[in-house]
Amino acid sequence: MKFIDPHIHVTSRTTDDYEAMAAAGVAAIIEPAFWLGQPRTNVGSFQDYFSSLVGFEKFRAAQFGIRHYCTIGLNSKEANNEALAEQVMEIMPLFLAKENVVAVGEIGFDDMTALEEKYLRLQLEMAKEVNLPVLIHTPHRNKKQGTYRSMDIIEEHEIPPHLVVIDHNNEETCEEVLRRGYWAAFTIYPKTKMGNERMVEVVKKYGPERIIVDSSADWGVSDPLAVPKTGNLMLERGIPQEHVELTCYKNALAAYGQSGQFEESDWLDPEPIDQRTLFEGNSVLRGGQTPRVDDKQEDDRIIQ
Amino acid sequence: MSYTPIQLLENWILRQASDAGQEWLDAQRQAVAQGDMKALYMGFGFAPRKVGKADLQLTERDLNDAAEAREGWMPHTWTIDQAARVLLLTSLPSEDDAAYFATIEKLFQTAEIREQICLYQALQLLPHQELFDDRLAEGIRTNIKSVFESIAHNNPLPMELMQEPAWNQMVLKALFIGAALDPIEGLDRRVNPELARMLIDFAHERRAAKRPIPVELWRVAAPFADEIALEDMRALYASGEQLEQSAIALALVSSASDEADVILKTHPEIAARAERGEITWRAIAEEAY
Ligand SMILES: [Zn+2]
Repeated sequence: MKFIDPHIHVTSRTTDDYEAMAAAGVAAIIEPAFWLGQPRTNVGSFQDYFSSLVGFEKFRAAQFGIRHYCTIGLNSKEANNEALAEQVMEIMPLFLAKENVVAVGEIGFDDMTALEEKYLRLQLEMAKEVNLPVLIHTPHRNKKQGTYRSMDIIEEHEIPPHLVVIDHNNEETCEEVLRRGYWAAFTIYPKTKMGNERMVEVVKKYGPERIIVDSSADWGVSDPLAVPKTGNLMLERGIPQEHVELTCYKNALAAYGQSGQFEESDWLDPEPIDQRTLFEGNSVLRGGQTPRVDDKQEDDRIIQ
Repeated sequence: MSYTPIQLLENWILRQASDAGQEWLDAQRQAVAQGDMKALYMGFGFAPRKVGKADLQLTERDLNDAAEAREGWMPHTWTIDQAARVLLLTSLPSEDDAAYFATIEKLFQTAEIREQICLYQALQLLPHQELFDDRLAEGIRTNIKSVFESIAHNNPLPMELMQEPAWNQMVLKALFIGAALDPIEGLDRRVNPELARMLIDFAHERRAAKRPIPVELWRVAAPFADEIALEDMRALYASGEQLEQSAIALALVSSASDEADVILKTHPEIAARAERGEITWRAIAEEAY
């Protein structure tokens, strides 16, 4: 079975992770722009980070047979530095039209400050201007409030819910998110956000419509195989295959496909032109190394 | 009659783009010409969505027109969005060269891979090319082969603008990453002793490690071959693969020294084919990659 992980921060993952993800069936991933674990102190850091999301990381993923997409946005924590936030808003038009950008995100609330709200609103307007879906990050603290408030604001800006993915849901928030017509995404992130046994129960209870599973794997203790692991667990626990396909592949495709930049044919039947750019001869390998060819006879004590 | 590069690009797009794409492009070009930076930045990004990403369908005659319009311009790998993006760039006001440079640099700094390829190929048609020699030197430091090739291959700018150290790095790096040398414009014209020395060291190192030596290397190394290089060539000419032997014969034939003749005599039939022009670097490059 093929999987999409529509929320993973692979910039902070290793090539081993990429290999494992490809082997587990992950065909395409979306990397939302997020923070680095510590605040960025100037706009140049944002510019280079955004550039790596639309450039080198997309290339690096392709080396392992994985199609990489991203979302571009000013995250909620860093929206609180107003001087910097203004500069980030200025450079965003340079990135929103890039080929692998499938949404504005992840944006939303962290502390639920006035500045977070200001930049959430400005970015919602920007998303309307460039016709892109929106990815909403919901806060860890005061989650229910933050989630509802985000949806209220989106409705004020008259963005239809089918263009919005609300992420980091839990058992408490998902009913209202689904009721209002949004895509409800769940982060399978060990020990904190959501375990995959709980996820199985959520799908059993609410069905597969508009539910999306992702890993949100990043620089923290997290699991880049969370989506395939959850998909397989669902199958084991008796959830029908079509429901697994919806929650672990097709719903993400439908939601982000609305950008016009996220199509199954990109990875099932790549255009020759992209192949030329991304695959043919390109390499993260160093001079003299040859691409890995699986061979069981290989003696792993020998470094060629 | 001859055309300007801008006229050619316009014609090619006219042949292939939809009316809507055409209209969009005209509107963006007008806005950019008025100095609207947001139109440039967004237009540059949106071009593939508006005009498509197909390869330009160019005839032999188009390619000749291109070479006449701009010496060394070889657009046979260009795509329609690339052509549209270049037209947007040529619309940008350029009287103030510092401002012009800053704008193009901003695009380079934020470009994704296909945009980088486009920008490096575009420079040959843009004003103020002389300001971009550092940008080219920086560009060849890339890890991404297709971006590297957009500078090194089918591009007259490196031979026209690059300082010798950058030029030499480009040729050596091409061999390291498995990019062909033959499509490098001006390759034979800009051969120099320092470059040949680097390539000879590289070849010797590879031979010691029992790793294959890229066959095109001898084209650049042979004109300055020293004792070590001649010994490596003698050995490969005696026992190498057929493609290696052909390449060494061709390199030695053009170097025309006494030592070269001695080596060539050990396989006179290959040497004769090289002398008769039956072996070419183009064919060797095509077979090697
Ligand atoms: Zn995230």
